[in-house]
Amino acid sequence: MVSTSSDVKLMAHLLRRAGFGATKEQLDQYISTGYEGVVDSLIDNEDSSRINNALVRRYFPDQSVTHDTSGAGSYWLYRLVSTDSPLREKIALFWHNVFATGYTKVTNGKPMSDQLRMFRSNGFGKLDKLLLKLSRDPAMIIWLDNVDNHNGAINENYGRELLELFSMGVGNYSEDDIKECSRAFTGWSIANSDYIKQLAVRNSIMPYGKLAWRYEYKEDDHDDGEKTFLGHKGNFDGEEIINIICEQPATARFISRHLYHFFVADEPPVPSWPYKEPQDLEAISILERAYFDSGYDIGEMIRVLFNSEFFKSETCHYKKIKSPAELASNVLRTTEEFGTPNIRISERNSQITFMGQQLLNPPSVEGWHQGLEWIETGSLTERVNFASQHLGDLSKPGVKKIVQNVMNDEGESISAEVCVDKCLDQLGAIQTSQFIYDTLVEFAQATGIPSINLLKDRENAANKISELMSVVASVPEFQQS
Amino acid sequence: MDGRGFMFPVDTAIGKNGRIHTVSRAYAPATAQLRITMYDIDSEYFGIYGGYGESLGQFRWPTGMASDHIGNIYVSDELNNRINVFSHEGEPIKYWGDPGSSEGELNGPSGIAFDSDGDLFVADHMNNRIQKFTKDGNFILSFGDKGQDTLKMPWGVFVTSGGFVYVADWGNDRIAKYDSSGEFIRSFGSRGSGNGQFRNPSGVAVDEDGYIYVTDWGNERLEILDENGNFIQSLRGQATISKWADEYFDGNYEEAEPRSRSNLEPSPVQFGGDPHEESAHIEKLFWGPTSVKLDDEGRVYVTESNRHRVQIYEKAE
Repeated sequence: MVSTSSDVKLMAHLLRRAGFGATKEQLDQYISTGYEGVVDSLIDNEDSSRINNALVRRYFPDQSVTHDTSGAGSYWLYRLVSTDSPLREKIALFWHNVFATGYTKVTNGKPMSDQLRMFRSNGFGKLDKLLLKLSRDPAMIIWLDNVDNHNGAINENYGRELLELFSMGVGNYSEDDIKECSRAFTGWSIANSDYIKQLAVRNSIMPYGKLAWRYEYKEDDHDDGEKTFLGHKGNFDGEEIINIICEQPATARFISRHLYHFFVADEPPVPSWPYKEPQDLEAISILERAYFDSGYDIGEMIRVLFNSEFFKSETCHYKKIKSPAELASNVLRTTEEFGTPNIRISERNSQITFMGQQLLNPPSVEGWHQGLEWIETGSLTERVNFASQHLGDLSKPGVKKIVQNVMNDEGESISAEVCVDKCLDQLGAIQTSQFIYDTLVEFAQATGIPSINLLKDRENAANKISELMSVVASVPEFQQS
Repeated sequence: MDGRGFMFPVDTAIGKNGRIHTVSRAYAPATAQLRITMYDIDSEYFGIYGGYGESLGQFRWPTGMASDHIGNIYVSDELNNRINVFSHEGEPIKYWGDPGSSEGELNGPSGIAFDSDGDLFVADHMNNRIQKFTKDGNFILSFGDKGQDTLKMPWGVFVTSGGFVYVADWGNDRIAKYDSSGEFIRSFGSRGSGNGQFRNPSGVAVDEDGYIYVTDWGNERLEILDENGNFIQSLRGQATISKWADEYFDGNYEEAEPRSRSNLEPSPVQFGGDPHEESAHIEKLFWGPTSVKLDDEGRVYVTESNRHRVQIYEKAE
């Protein structure tokens, strides 16, 4: 097994966590920028994508309006596979899981896509601003019934989840705080709410397709009376409630723990957080400090996180299981299947669903439970089949390029060990256990790769190496990040 | 799927005896809704034909439509790389076309239009050119992909009675004009949203007075220019409730009642000047205008994919 420099290992680790992996070619470019420079560029880059909206909309009018969950999910998948700002899509995935909103109730793809766009734009910003945007987000207003939260007849659903799942966590507020919080958000609604609710319930597209939704503040439905919230007293509205929430140490801990869970190492499921301490209290403390020092700035917290020793440590490399969306994005970016929009995107989006994650349709307001819960018999088979099928497909331009790179500069033949080393390297400097490595070498031997004359029988060699690539795609270290 | 209505329609052809044919591109996985709907100016419904697939009478990404002098309907298919031919009644007759980039081969045939000799011009968009065929698919000539002023992913095409070819040059944000032999004459417009500018124009048609009608897809509008390309008028759309939609509401009070209390024409100011967002929120506006067609009565037909409808205008005196 060839030894990989620590710089390369670290950069590969960063790109797996802050993006969707990187090939050797991409890693080489990143390394020339330096680790901290890459962290900065990932956080500070403007949102840009290789496949622009106009191109997608030309071929797929349904994705232009993101008519339903299929179109909206496919549209997001284009972004995931073609973005030049991978961390921006990653942060959208992060918030989509924390502020989980589902198509089953929204039944309109555009508000879902609009919410994602809001996450891309505000996901690195200040938490108070993000929560304000979230509270005015039409998909969220329908999803958690704030449209039915009226002056004198509150609906607590949004107020409760804002405190329990979106900011502080259970145990840090009272039932009275929930009621007072809900009162503050009365009148935070959407335009044409009665009509929109009917269309959503009936999943109606009549007469001219689904209407876009927009936030509307209904002043005459807002409870402007005095409220007592977390020990503060005043005629609070939602914005002031959010300001109080963001001042809480519980919020700092909750957000820190979520970021650690998503980017560093699996924490237990969120519902158990009130009863289980974080596994790395020191790391959480560092993130909490960053939260307050930066004025609740998520981007700064992430910058601190990626530059911290607890993130860089090799003890957390390959310790997270890629979500289906992360795995598929990693594979499809590597294969370069989607240089331009094509009809297969819908099929790929469905395959992510089969692996256990339907984009834009989380199972509940808790989002997806992550870590080992991504793996069960059916989903593991789907994951392995997906990665193996695509990374072993020589017709895909990215695979073809990698296989050529493996063969280049090898003269007449390549040993099984070198072939395995180069495949792992090309796929992003993947480090395997000795057992997995030996198994891959054994497989390469069995395919006869070492005995093929690379100069005379290049096509045969390419086919065998692509078979090896499909096996590499199935090893735990590729399925993990 | 049977019945009236469209699902992401992309083009309309004016057929024989005033019959109108509109093709719905639909979407995956709802491919059962891919079809051509026949109706007339009074919303009389005559049925559907076509469907998803690769067999005779089927298509996967239908895009352009044209009617020949006997009323047969031609439909381009960007994914199957072929031209489908149907009778006036929607019976499949044949298809032709082979994929590729050599002369006579197709890579993403989009807009199509007949000239007065009965030959068919095809916007072969992924090959960045226009090709001319007989109506049976025999290659005649191609142009637009060589020399200066080359096309970039052209979409709509139109041929005047005088033989001039107008192309909605989608990727270059302009309308290109050629003579009947494919010689470039001039172009109109540049990228932008001002008068006479375009963002990814999708369709073009020219009336007998020389007025040029352009579906300015990226700006969600219809622009009208004079024969020299001077700006005349811009329309953002003013759809009303169709007869079919009216009948739907008659039987669906639960939707009709709250709709009657809704504001479907909010001020566009709040959408930051983004025409896509304005059209998403304001129902009467064009949203995804993919083609413009004219009939002999002076009517202008704009097919809007995103609102699943066709807006029809009378030409002003």
